Amino acid sequence: MAVVAGDLVDQAELTARAKARRSVVEDRIFYWLTLASAVFVVVMLIGVLVSLIVGSWPALSKFGIGFIWTERWSPVKQIFGALTPIYGTIVTSLIAMIIGIPVSLGIAIFLTEICPQSLRRPIGVAIELLAGIPSIIYGLWGFFFLAPFLQTTIQPFLIATIGNVPVIGMLFGGAPYGIGLFTAGLILAIMVLPFITSITRDVFQTVPVLLRESSYGMGMTTWEVVRHIIIPYTRVGLVGGIMLGLGRALGETMAVTFVIGNSHNISASLLAPSTTISATIANEFTEATSDLYTSSLIGLGLILFVITFAVLALAKWLLIRTNVK
Amino acid sequence: MAVDSRRKTTNVVALGLSVLATVIGLFFLAVILITLVVKGLGAISPEMFTQNTPPPGSAGGLLNAIFGSIAMTAIAIIVATPIGILAGTYLSEYSRGSWIAELAKFINDILLSAPSIIIGLFVYTLLVVPFGHFSGWAGAASLGLIALPVINRTTQDMLQLVPSALREAAAALGTPRWKTMTFIIYRAARSGILTGVLLAIARITGETAPLLFTALNNQFWSADLSQPIANLPVVIFQFALSPYDDWQKLAWGGALIITVAILVLNVIARSLAGKQQS
Repeated sequence: MAVVAGDLVDQAELTARAKARRSVVEDRIFYWLTLASAVFVVVMLIGVLVSLIVGSWPALSKFGIGFIWTERWSPVKQIFGALTPIYGTIVTSLIAMIIGIPVSLGIAIFLTEICPQSLRRPIGVAIELLAGIPSIIYGLWGFFFLAPFLQTTIQPFLIATIGNVPVIGMLFGGAPYGIGLFTAGLILAIMVLPFITSITRDVFQTVPVLLRESSYGMGMTTWEVVRHIIIPYTRVGLVGGIMLGLGRALGETMAVTFVIGNSHNISASLLAPSTTISATIANEFTEATSDLYTSSLIGLGLILFVITFAVLALAKWLLIRTNVK
Repeated sequence: MAVDSRRKTTNVVALGLSVLATVIGLFFLAVILITLVVKGLGAISPEMFTQNTPPPGSAGGLLNAIFGSIAMTAIAIIVATPIGILAGTYLSEYSRGSWIAELAKFINDILLSAPSIIIGLFVYTLLVVPFGHFSGWAGAASLGLIALPVINRTTQDMLQLVPSALREAAAALGTPRWKTMTFIIYRAARSGILTGVLLAIARITGETAPLLFTALNNQFWSADLSQPIANLPVVIFQFALSPYDDWQKLAWGGALIITVAILVLNVIARSLAGKQQS
């Protein structure tokens, strides 16, 4: 009997050990699965970079580094230069920032400092909904409504007034096309609003209540608290939020493609049609008839990738420093 | 007194401007949505859901495009969800601040905002060039790669919300780690993780740029994912810029469908996220 009982104990212990061993193995497998999935994202980014370099190699080896500052873009002559799209990308994003930053800051100040508590959530959600609207909808709206509206009202006004001022007037010369750099910049400004606003609001909330209350206690007005306490305190985070918005604006494709006019021209006027990196790729990729053409477009993609990666990495780094997610 | 009144005036002006900024933001939201509803409702008809995209100059529907969009979105989400959840699990539960995890988090956050057209180019060189033609699979792959960072990031955030007492209690009972995760932690974070999936669906539903050179478009009914396949965003793009009234009308109808779907997904995701946080 004793022997049998001992066997039973051994048996139970053996199964328990086997189970424990299996758990260890299963745990290992699960761990490696999660690790592999996490690393996948890194691999993907490297894959993107490698594929862009490989894809653009024919163009880069033919045109060299001069690809970046060559203005000519001629599919017929097989000469491709990235200057115009780069110029358009930077100008439209700049316009977006010049309009978008003050408005976003204004909204964030309103939401954190002025707005009655009961309205904060609904208005905040409404502004965030702007981020949910897909970019093609902005493009559609911009093409059929904003561009014709600007063409008949704002642009003739700008040409007639600022257009006559020396030097600055050059920016607002020419005919009112409706579509062009200015319209694209304006749409981008609306599109980056929710991104900059939501980060700004988050960093504003990192200001310690004590600091805020004591400023009010000293008799500062709301604006003075914002201007002299909140903005200096959150400076780094604000720049991070702005950089994040800039990253979005630089890479935005469909909305811009609708309203930029897709013309490979650098003109002094902001009202003139032009093109951006993303719009050029979107418009011409499926029509590219030669390998060199396709490869040049991928080269544009590589430039865009490098620029946006740098801007977004800077944004992320600044935001990590302020401990905002 | 003069200084005081100047300070007060500055205050009123500055705050007035910030109210104005908010009004401007809300104004554009309202104008865009109203335009969309007015133009879109006029275009929506039963035929839109029963007929395929028409040749130029005739009436038709968006059936093939709606099907293509749903098929590619479904595949993208089915593949991206497990990878995203597992990646989020590693970054939130296992990594303990290792450099590879910090790097993966950093890169994931950058990919969240990276231009989707770049992802399109990537998938083009990976899945279109080798096979020699555009395909629904390539479209689904590009959408999946855009959905992945969203699910990954939300999973990280939501797992942080699960109280560590649950993990400790499970560990004290001798539960293997993977069972703790799958049977306890994922369940506790269920609505939060679902939020991430819904946000990812909302994000890729309107994506157009990457589909332009992966799935392309197809005027006819096709359920073959190894071939070019119709999809709503690209149809909207092509039809809107066409000179034909029928096509433009369909573009507006499609735009309204997409936007309503996305806004509904956003609202559901928000209420689920609120549930998770409370």
